[in-house]
Amino acid sequence: MSQPLTQLLASAAFALAAAALAYRQRLHLSRALLLASLRAAVQLAVVGALIALVFRVPALAIAFVAVMVATASLTAGSRIRALPGARRIAVAAIALPAIAAVGVLLAVGAFAATPRATIPTAGILIGGAMLSTTLTGRRLVEGLAEGIDEIEARLALGDRARDALAPLCRRAITAALVPLIDQTRSAGLVTLPGTFVGLVLGGASPATAARVQLTVLLTLLLVQLLSALLTAELVTRAATLPGERVLTL
Amino acid sequence: MPHDDARADRIDGIAVRGVRLARGERVVLRDVSFDAPKGAVTALVGPSGAGKSTLLRCLNRLLVPEAGSVALDGEEIGALDPCALRRRAGLVGQTPTMLPGSVRENLAYGLDPAAAAEQPRLTRALADAGLDAAFLDRPAGELSGGERARVALARALTREPELLLLDEPTAALDAAVARHVGATLAALARAGLGIVIATHDLPFAAEIADQVVALRDGAATIGSPAELLA
Repeated sequence: MSQPLTQLLASAAFALAAAALAYRQRLHLSRALLLASLRAAVQLAVVGALIALVFRVPALAIAFVAVMVATASLTAGSRIRALPGARRIAVAAIALPAIAAVGVLLAVGAFAATPRATIPTAGILIGGAMLSTTLTGRRLVEGLAEGIDEIEARLALGDRARDALAPLCRRAITAALVPLIDQTRSAGLVTLPGTFVGLVLGGASPATAARVQLTVLLTLLLVQLLSALLTAELVTRAATLPGERVLTL
Repeated sequence: MPHDDARADRIDGIAVRGVRLARGERVVLRDVSFDAPKGAVTALVGPSGAGKSTLLRCLNRLLVPEAGSVALDGEEIGALDPCALRRRAGLVGQTPTMLPGSVRENLAYGLDPAAAAEQPRLTRALADAGLDAAFLDRPAGELSGGERARVALARALTREPELLLLDEPTAALDAAVARHVGATLAALARAGLGIVIATHDLPFAAEIADQVVALRDGAATIGSPAELLA
């Protein structure tokens, strides 16, 4: 049996085994597990086909990255939709740091300016920016809803709205960055990061895989910090009302 | 207290004229007018949801009415810098929120360094609120509800405001402390401070208020404690 077919059959068997086990344990998860597996199969097949097309027509890479940014922005925007202009905030906080970092990496020659290098790199950085935007944004929205007493206390003591919101912003940014810092600190010890695994499976030497993984991880640190800072800044602007007042959610 | 619009700009204190504010479909305040002069205690009373807290927040621009005007010493508060206004008209919210750090840091929050270093300013404010100087170095996060309420009051007093806006100041206090705070507020009013208190504690209002603004269904009735709280 060919290796590709074996891979497909093995993965289908694992998914079915998971569904069967869930069914036996009466967890009511069988349907969700099968649907998620099916969805992943369809999505990956479509993405595989699309990326193959992009490799043949490099100009399509721009459209592909744009779709990634749009999808990430819709996802992150929906998490902070209580705020006016949530989607615009998400687009800016995700696209600006991620695209700028991809541009720098390509400009200095860290990666070849080919779709094969650009699309996965952009994907990881956009995904990281999305995570950071979502985590920061959700914390801020929660803070505006539940922490309004503290914000009002600061306003009542004569703070500008921006100053009254600053402690909440700092807490949200810190909380958003903790998972990434943990991930970076434990890279290679607790789990083998995806880029590393992918490159090694694809035939690259472990040294090359480690170098590329490090580049991606350390770039992510700045991208996610910038995303969190941008989210905090844009949410601060969206939540500041005329007369040094703060939007209550 | 009777008033007429022509005199509004001469009030030494707060002059509220025709204030209207709605929250969604619900009209919280409709055509509310009263004066809250300096040197007097004005009590805003009424059932829960009558708009007492809302009205209090209209006096320091945490809320902006849809119609009507609020003036401080004859000047439209809309024309004042909001932060400067809020230092002049100190608001203590219903939930006394402590900022991170010690009581001293809370009292000194936002003060200029010279004022923050004035120990007597801080201890006097604490004493007025019924707490002794030993509280200065206590972590604010460890205080009881009643202590927090008093530190929040002291924090407003350290700013030496011209007006004090208090939202349910006795809610977290036992009767003895409430009496002490009430006596302090009455003394501060006699010394020239303007005090506006939103409260559902009618005996407390009757004891210290010089005038009462009774809110019901968004409308205000103004009178003396004897007229409205009897």
